[in-house]
Amino acid sequence: METGSARPKAGLIDWIGLRWFFLLLSSSIGQKFVMGVTGLLLCGFLVAHLAGNLLLFAGAKWFNDYAHKLHEQWEFLIVAETGLFVLFLAHIYLAFATTFGNAKAREEQYAVKQTKIKGRVIGANSWMFASGAVVLGFVLLHLTDLRLAADGINLRGFKYTDDAFGNTLMVLKNPISRAVYVIGSIVLGIHLSHGFASAFQSLGLNHPKYMPLIKIGGKVFAVVIAVGFASIALFAPEIWRGYVPVSH
Amino acid sequence: MNHSTSKTLNLTLKIWRQTGPDQPGALKTYTLTNISTDMSFLEMLDVLNEQLIAKGEEPVAFDHDCREGICGTCGVMINGQAHGPDNATTTCQLHMRKFNDGDTILIEPWRAKAFPIVRDLVVNRSAFDRIIQSGGYVSVNTGGAPDANAIPVPGHMQKDAMAAAACIGCGACVASCKNASAMLFVSAKVTHMANLPQGQAERSKRVLSMVATMDAEQFGNCSNTAECEAACPAGIKLSNIAQMNREYMKALLFSCE
Ligand code: HEM
Ligand code: FES
Repeated sequence: METGSARPKAGLIDWIGLRWFFLLLSSSIGQKFVMGVTGLLLCGFLVAHLAGNLLLFAGAKWFNDYAHKLHEQWEFLIVAETGLFVLFLAHIYLAFATTFGNAKAREEQYAVKQTKIKGRVIGANSWMFASGAVVLGFVLLHLTDLRLAADGINLRGFKYTDDAFGNTLMVLKNPISRAVYVIGSIVLGIHLSHGFASAFQSLGLNHPKYMPLIKIGGKVFAVVIAVGFASIALFAPEIWRGYVPVSH
Repeated sequence: MNHSTSKTLNLTLKIWRQTGPDQPGALKTYTLTNISTDMSFLEMLDVLNEQLIAKGEEPVAFDHDCREGICGTCGVMINGQAHGPDNATTTCQLHMRKFNDGDTILIEPWRAKAFPIVRDLVVNRSAFDRIIQSGGYVSVNTGGAPDANAIPVPGHMQKDAMAAAACIGCGACVASCKNASAMLFVSAKVTHMANLPQGQAERSKRVLSMVATMDAEQFGNCSNTAECEAACPAGIKLSNIAQMNREYMKALLFSCE
């Protein structure tokens, strides 16, 4: 079998033995594999993050204990945050790379285009880049709101204290922030309503026995994440209306 | 539907006309009267072309060969759907009884960077040929026909391989995909041979090479929207793409190719 003109000439990359890594990040299937892996790992982070944040409903003591214990383990946090940063970077880089490649693959559009899938209205699958971009914007805002502030970088003009519970409520009490947090959570859910099951397909994890479960599981997961995070933004500030932040 | 109660249709056609690969194209409107509902879609286009020729105009160029859903040459976009409104049907198998009197039918060529337009509705699909040339075959000599029972193939593998072999290479998957991706086509070829004993020797090399050629031909990536599966006249499934993904990653990370 001829390997074809598609395989480039051996070069430096083969000499250092990284052709496989180059193809992982540049071939169509490699790119979607990495998107799927990073997407699912980010989903794992979402589960941990939501579980921690639901403690906002339990009260100041619970949430602040959790926050302190988490931040005491700074060695773990450095590794985890670096890992998250790399996951995001890879996912976003590939989102741009694949979206540009896909746009180039059809330069002239159809005058009319209709789906042949019965009952499909608007698919979240057509809005992955848009929903991802909204999530990115939201994540950046969220980081300036509550993560950078913890390092003493205040870009938002809130009056932060060292009471993590109080700070979170303060941000969520601002009506604009609150609306943005609710919308961000819902758009994230939309991203996941296609992304979760899609990632399994990209990883080649498709099996007649498990496919229905993966598909339904993906929708359920998307709803749990969206409703979970949105409910915090909607209800936590109401439940703890009378809370007075404590400075230690 | 009762075939004997044939009716006739009056139609408005909007057809993409383009004189050559680098020429500008545009939709042109034609009217047709008294089209029998028993006609096939291509016979309807034949009638149009006879009328155009009689008037001294250039007939509409469209690809076709077998007119029975085997050769895969006839695909066009009909009202924005690859091969028209039916599932599991090629353009040549589509009948005019699927349309109503007074309908406007929009006909466009497949649109993809990798499928340049040759003329009107005809596109150049040789990118598919180059993908096949880069690995879509078995190059070992299989000798004379062995005793069928001497090569055990599990039933489900045999069924999967046969189902994948049904691909006629028409390009409807590319045409219907928002990314103009060829994954369904390539996956049918890759899995067809990966599931059979004869395909094992070149299993890793094949998938690496065919995917590299697919990428070099500038087809888009897969967004898992399943539009290709719905448009495929041969019933190729999304699970073929999943298997190709698996084959590719295994070959990329663990094979010696
Ligand atoms: C918490 C954050 C995020 C999570 C959990 C997440 C999760 C996922 C998952 C699971 C997939 C499916 C992967 C696949 O199809 O193989 C995916 C795809 C995708 N994501 Fe994200 N994502 C996140 C943020 C983002 C961001 C910030 C962007 C930036 C624009 C983005 C853009 C995309 C795109 C373009 C796709 C591919 C869709 C396609 O192939 O059609 N995502 N995401
Ligand atoms: S003409 Fe051969 S498949 Fe339609």
